[in-house]
Amino acid sequence: MKLKVDRITKQYKNKIAVDRISFELTEGVTGLLGANGAGKTTLMRMMSGILTPTSGEITADGIPVNSEEYRAILGYLPQDFGYYPEFTAREFVKYIAALKGIEKKRARKKTEELLELVGLTESAGKKIKTFSGGMKQRVGIAQALVNDPKILILDEPTAGLDPKERVRFRNLIADISKDTVVLFSTHIVSDIEHIASNVLMMRDGQLIHEGEWNGKQGDLEQFYMEEFK
Amino acid sequence: MASDYKDLLNEAFSAPAPKGKDAFLKNIRPREVSLFAMIWQQAAYIRVTAWLLAALVVGVAIAGAVLKLESAQNAVTMLMPFTAAVAVIESNRSRRCGMSELETATRFSLRSVVLARMTLLGAAALIVLLIAAPVISAVTCEGAVFTAVRMVIPYLLTMSISLPIERSSLGRKTDLSSLAVASVVAFVIYYVSNFGGAAFTGYLQVIGRWGVLIALGLLALTAAQQWKTINKSEELA
Amino acid sequence: MDIEEIYDKIYRYVYFKLKNQSVAEDITQETFLKYISAKGSIHGYEIKYLYTIARNLCIDEFRRVKPDPLPEDFEGPVTDAHRTIEDRLAVREALKKLDPEDQELLLLRHVNGESVGTICTMLNISRFAVYRRIKNAEERLRSSLEGIKDGK
Repeated sequence: MKLKVDRITKQYKNKIAVDRISFELTEGVTGLLGANGAGKTTLMRMMSGILTPTSGEITADGIPVNSEEYRAILGYLPQDFGYYPEFTAREFVKYIAALKGIEKKRARKKTEELLELVGLTESAGKKIKTFSGGMKQRVGIAQALVNDPKILILDEPTAGLDPKERVRFRNLIADISKDTVVLFSTHIVSDIEHIASNVLMMRDGQLIHEGEWNGKQGDLEQFYMEEFK
Repeated sequence: MASDYKDLLNEAFSAPAPKGKDAFLKNIRPREVSLFAMIWQQAAYIRVTAWLLAALVVGVAIAGAVLKLESAQNAVTMLMPFTAAVAVIESNRSRRCGMSELETATRFSLRSVVLARMTLLGAAALIVLLIAAPVISAVTCEGAVFTAVRMVIPYLLTMSISLPIERSSLGRKTDLSSLAVASVVAFVIYYVSNFGGAAFTGYLQVIGRWGVLIALGLLALTAAQQWKTINKSEELA
Repeated sequence: MDIEEIYDKIYRYVYFKLKNQSVAEDITQETFLKYISAKGSIHGYEIKYLYTIARNLCIDEFRRVKPDPLPEDFEGPVTDAHRTIEDRLAVREALKKLDPEDQELLLLRHVNGESVGTICTMLNISRFAVYRRIKNAEERLRSSLEGIKDGK
């Protein structure tokens, strides 16, 4: 799978949020680092097909981002998401599964599998409004995976997770990344160090670094701090 | 004549087996669920209030017919704006509950969800109309069409005003704008029909002659607003 | 009609135009992708638009690259053992004598089974013109075949 981002720009009236960014991703984990306002969320929204770029193209093996086929192979977890107040965790994932066009029986099976994977089997029948931040995040991850996506885009997925949950999340991502293109954004440098083989860094809407990070380049935290001083 | 040679033409025009076909088509996964099935699925996610309100209108109509209450006509007409308001609220629930982003990033996408909800609730309103109008006209001895038009105009009026308000910044701030519109319309109906005197009779005369056209005009306006809402549903800042 | 059949049809058409297997596949896939980009999905496909895109891509390809003077010589699998070798050869010979436009019409109409309406949209000519051209192409094929058979 080749996820190609080609000269993507998002311009608002008085601000360029994303400025001619290009890169290519394949299976594996890519971390997206950048300060608040760097344009990470805007970029991820465009890559998820929910925000139209001002110019440029995004394709997955040639399939354009603005198509049903692209969304069919996509799993997306936004930074902040809501839920219908009456929903239980199970109902939430099943609802998204339905919108992803998964037929009922398969949706039911997949929902149970994923809730188990993220450790929510016991709470599956409880309403999301009773959940902690970390539990809600896990529901979010489950819904993103329900269609066996080939592309997984996660916006600050570790925010609100306690250390144990974070480890669980990293293991989960490492597992999936064997045949999925995973892109996740974070402030937490250690997330990148542990699971990302590829790193993108953004500042003021531009891509300032792209490439592997295998520890040989020294301390990522150091680099990050220097870049974002 | 060429059809006699169809098989030979097939052979003559055949091409060598394509090599990348399977890999390519694997990326273009077919739909497991049809659009129709998806719309039907959405019915389960529309809140009970919407269906109860529709049932209430029908209930009042039938009760009015059985008990021979003329006031049933007014009651039903005053309930219609609220039915419209609830439909608008249900259609916009994704945005209200913060589900827009998640729903937009799915195969069917948020547009289909909004369309599905509007379709289902519109169908429910139509059924309500088809039952309540003849039932009430049996009591009032006014034509069924006339009764239907009297019911439909406040419904469409409320909807065509509420939809743009819900899209506006005012609509984003408060949950109650549609209900407010409905209340105003219902109040106007109440006031004019009870104290309007000449204005009321005048209105009924206009409806009697031009009602169907007015209703169709409002229907077009409402449809245009619904279309706008659907198109704007996936717009982020 | 499922997506595999559509792929086959477009591919067969493009191969006929460009006579090169790998280029034909690239263009077939590009046709699908362009359609998806324009319409948002391949589902609910309208084959006449797929053909139109394919046709335009072929025209672009002709302009870009001079056609290979030695096109691939491909013979398809035998589909009906009852037909004689003479018949098979005769039809091929007869087809070769026709103009590319006639060949294209016979492919679209009799092999791919496309409707006159589809062909209209593709070639951007009237229904009547399409009918007439198909009839003429069939006539020319017939007389060409007779000529070959008489010659034998």
